[in-house]
Amino acid sequence: MSHHDVVVIGAGPAGLSCAATLAEMGLDTLVLDEQIHLGGQIYRNVESTSAAQLDFFGEDYAQGRAIVERFRKSNAKYKGGATVWQAEGDGTVCFSCEGSSQQITANYVVIATGAMERPVPLTGWTLPGVLGAGAANNLAKEAGLSPKGKVVLCGSGPLLLLEASLLIKKGVQIEAILDTTPLIPSLSALKHMPRALLRTDFLLKGLKILWDIKKSKVPYLRGVSGLKMLGADKVEKVECVHKGEKVTIPTDVALLHFGVIPNTHMMRQVGCEMHWNPDLRYWHPVCDKWGRTNHDRVFVAGDGSYVSGAVAAGLKGELSGLEIACSLGILSTKSRDEMAKPISNKITKDKHPRPFIDAMYAPRAGQFAFENDTVVCRCENVTVGEIREVISQGAHDPNEIKIITRSGMGPCQGRMCGSAINEILASELEASPDEVGYLTIRPPLKGVPLGEIAAMKFSEASGPADLFKNQK
Amino acid sequence: MKTTDIIVIGGGITGSATALGLVKEKAGKVLMFDSQLPTQRLSRANFGLTWFMCKGGGSSTYAQWCRNACRQWPEYAAELEDETKMNIELEWTGGALHAFGEEQLQAHAASVEKLTGICGEVGLDYPVSVLDRQQFSELVPKMQLGEDVSGAMYTPQQGHVNPLKLLGAMRKAFQLRGGEFIGNQNILEIIPNGNTVTVKTKDEEYSCNKLVVAAGHGCERLLFPLGYKLNVYPQRGQLLVTERCERKLPFPLLAVRQTQDGTYMIGLSTEDVAHDIRVTPQAMQQQAQNAIRIFPELASVNWVRAWGAIRVMTPDGAPIYDNLPNHPNIYVMALHSSVSLNPMHTSVVAPWILDGKNAEALSPFSNGRFNV
Amino acid sequence: MFKIDPSQAQQTVTVLLDGKHKALPAGMSVAAALLGAGEIISRVSPSSKKPCSPHCLMGVCYECLMEIDGTKKQACMTEIAEGMVINRNFTDEEDN
Repeated sequence: MSHHDVVVIGAGPAGLSCAATLAEMGLDTLVLDEQIHLGGQIYRNVESTSAAQLDFFGEDYAQGRAIVERFRKSNAKYKGGATVWQAEGDGTVCFSCEGSSQQITANYVVIATGAMERPVPLTGWTLPGVLGAGAANNLAKEAGLSPKGKVVLCGSGPLLLLEASLLIKKGVQIEAILDTTPLIPSLSALKHMPRALLRTDFLLKGLKILWDIKKSKVPYLRGVSGLKMLGADKVEKVECVHKGEKVTIPTDVALLHFGVIPNTHMMRQVGCEMHWNPDLRYWHPVCDKWGRTNHDRVFVAGDGSYVSGAVAAGLKGELSGLEIACSLGILSTKSRDEMAKPISNKITKDKHPRPFIDAMYAPRAGQFAFENDTVVCRCENVTVGEIREVISQGAHDPNEIKIITRSGMGPCQGRMCGSAINEILASELEASPDEVGYLTIRPPLKGVPLGEIAAMKFSEASGPADLFKNQK
Repeated sequence: MKTTDIIVIGGGITGSATALGLVKEKAGKVLMFDSQLPTQRLSRANFGLTWFMCKGGGSSTYAQWCRNACRQWPEYAAELEDETKMNIELEWTGGALHAFGEEQLQAHAASVEKLTGICGEVGLDYPVSVLDRQQFSELVPKMQLGEDVSGAMYTPQQGHVNPLKLLGAMRKAFQLRGGEFIGNQNILEIIPNGNTVTVKTKDEEYSCNKLVVAAGHGCERLLFPLGYKLNVYPQRGQLLVTERCERKLPFPLLAVRQTQDGTYMIGLSTEDVAHDIRVTPQAMQQQAQNAIRIFPELASVNWVRAWGAIRVMTPDGAPIYDNLPNHPNIYVMALHSSVSLNPMHTSVVAPWILDGKNAEALSPFSNGRFNV
Repeated sequence: MFKIDPSQAQQTVTVLLDGKHKALPAGMSVAAALLGAGEIISRVSPSSKKPCSPHCLMGVCYECLMEIDGTKKQACMTEIAEGMVINRNFTDEEDN
């Protein structure tokens, strides 16, 4: 069993920047990442991608190169394809890599598991050919794949429009963009407008995307509702309601996107205190400004703690690194604070447009229709109606819904249905999602073969002889 | 203050089976309160066995009680499914306990002989045989036995059930028969007033003629203020569940069972760790090793879920069914293995609570048996 | 459903896919390689018995779960390699 100063879980901008900060100060830092290549989702494959790809995805993607290069130079250790299946507040981490599992310990653990697309159950979303818009983006970065045939993009949020503009640039045949964002922005969005204007560069990027979409003449339907994916063995058409009329669009591929939410599975298993944000309608861990959770030895960095985008994620990773170095006695609090100051300033500047964007696109309570025949739990094929039925019989806790219906018991462990169950239960009981609570997450975070568990080696308690083991 | 005839505190397997028995016996208005305390819902960690084999080696009344419960299971399940139109996934295909090496197989034979005698004393059968490796292997033709397996103890007359579906079906049957289920009720206090009992919840006060406390380890907190010390202690069990696989195992083993949807459940550990419900990799490892030692092919199957839960254990392992000496209209049920014993709670314990029937059969299970 | 950008110079590996040899692009996940080769269906759901295709491509949804070298793995999290044995375990009538 190996022991490290810090184990960082996740190799996106937050994890890489945090690990680099620590390793540069001589701390024994190990990054475990379950993806094949480092970079996380946003900087996926940035290290080995072609010049053409770098150019295509633009400056925001290319920035990842600098983060990766810094990390590679820092002497931090890195294991790709390493899936953490259990982590504990005392710094114990179990993971599987190349067909074997091991338990390691660390003085500090940084969870940098990033964000995921908000799973919103819709009729027909389980049909082959229906993917997340992020999935299309990942396939493009990782493998140079782009959708073939007719494509419809559905949902809401800046990343939906960004993906649309990238596909337009690729020459993909987009039949329509069906935008579910309410036509009238909430008042809070307008309130945040002045602050957003401090970052004209950011807003201009947004306008450029909208201009690209307009120029392309791709039908862009705004304020749609009642999205349905229809087809027999694969998606054949998308249906929605636009200006009070039903619209049907034949397609080969449907890409869904309803914003991103922190990927909190591991934090829940560790037992981090979680907070429900009613405006953004997602859960995030309760952290101090350094990313420290209620467990002293456990930090959360990046979009996993609160979605603020790639640049801020990297900076938040650096802040966590400084505080851990300080806790380990490598930095004085004074140096920590001095080093943190320019980083915090950059975060503040980067954050200016966020509240505006968040308020523009944040889903509102009751915005998702949750039709009774829609499948919520993809793994176990459980519908909204079945969940409503057990609620009507007295279930009042997501875990009770889970045990009776099996929703959340499949291989994805509730990653795809957890937030929807939370919303449905809250709405049926006329409570807020934090009052009804969330699914309990237990190990293993991801499936592991029994043979791997059986072959694990746990360290014996160390004896006096170990004190001299390095002396011949 | 709301008034009712009987209140059952605890909506788990034990409380639900008993509450169902009460409404079946026309006990009047029955309320069942449930509160989802994370450590106090044993049905979530239950293995789902409906089992009598090798139980009660240390207590002949318990051995007989288990055998009796098992004999009632098929009919009980059929009635419940018929009434609720729910499938509780009972499979009455038998059950086995593996043996590694000759010594364990001989111990199995001794156990069968002893328990056959104990059941025989009260005219009960004990249909268990000891199989050698070859005979055991023939009963599980699709699985390859590990080389250490020397044989097994086997009975064709027991099975397994989906405990979560069972709980759902009992709750539904209880409601169909007029019982009222109230979830999310934390009980603050129990106040005896002679012929009635007041139950204070976080929202409301209720008065009832009889009270049944079947709240797992929550019983102790509720009964201590009444001067009643329950003789139970916490024992952790951990179990693990795999992904779905092709259905190959025709009946459950005590250590491994395959459910109707193809997942393997592997358990159970017994640990004295007070009320710590954490899942530990060390326990997962021991159980995985044991399962692979029985069926080596399980090594490539993915483990996907695990639980730790706290059994309600008594010093002799048998259940406690009791009423309070100073408050005889307050009843308490504290036990493990509730799924196996389920039919007894509906058909024997409920009538006892309602009008004193079966008192003789239940007297060996008093809490007072430990106060000597 | 997907096509590979011709500007991406491709090396290939040969795998045994559902018992048949198949050349697939190298340097990417099994899920991406299969999608690029027109193999859309990743598995048949054991609960709904309906065909599935990969949905998230980032390790969350488990729709691309398939038997890879003897154990079920997320195809989107597993790098394709020469000689890999991949079984999607379609039954005959569901094969497509």
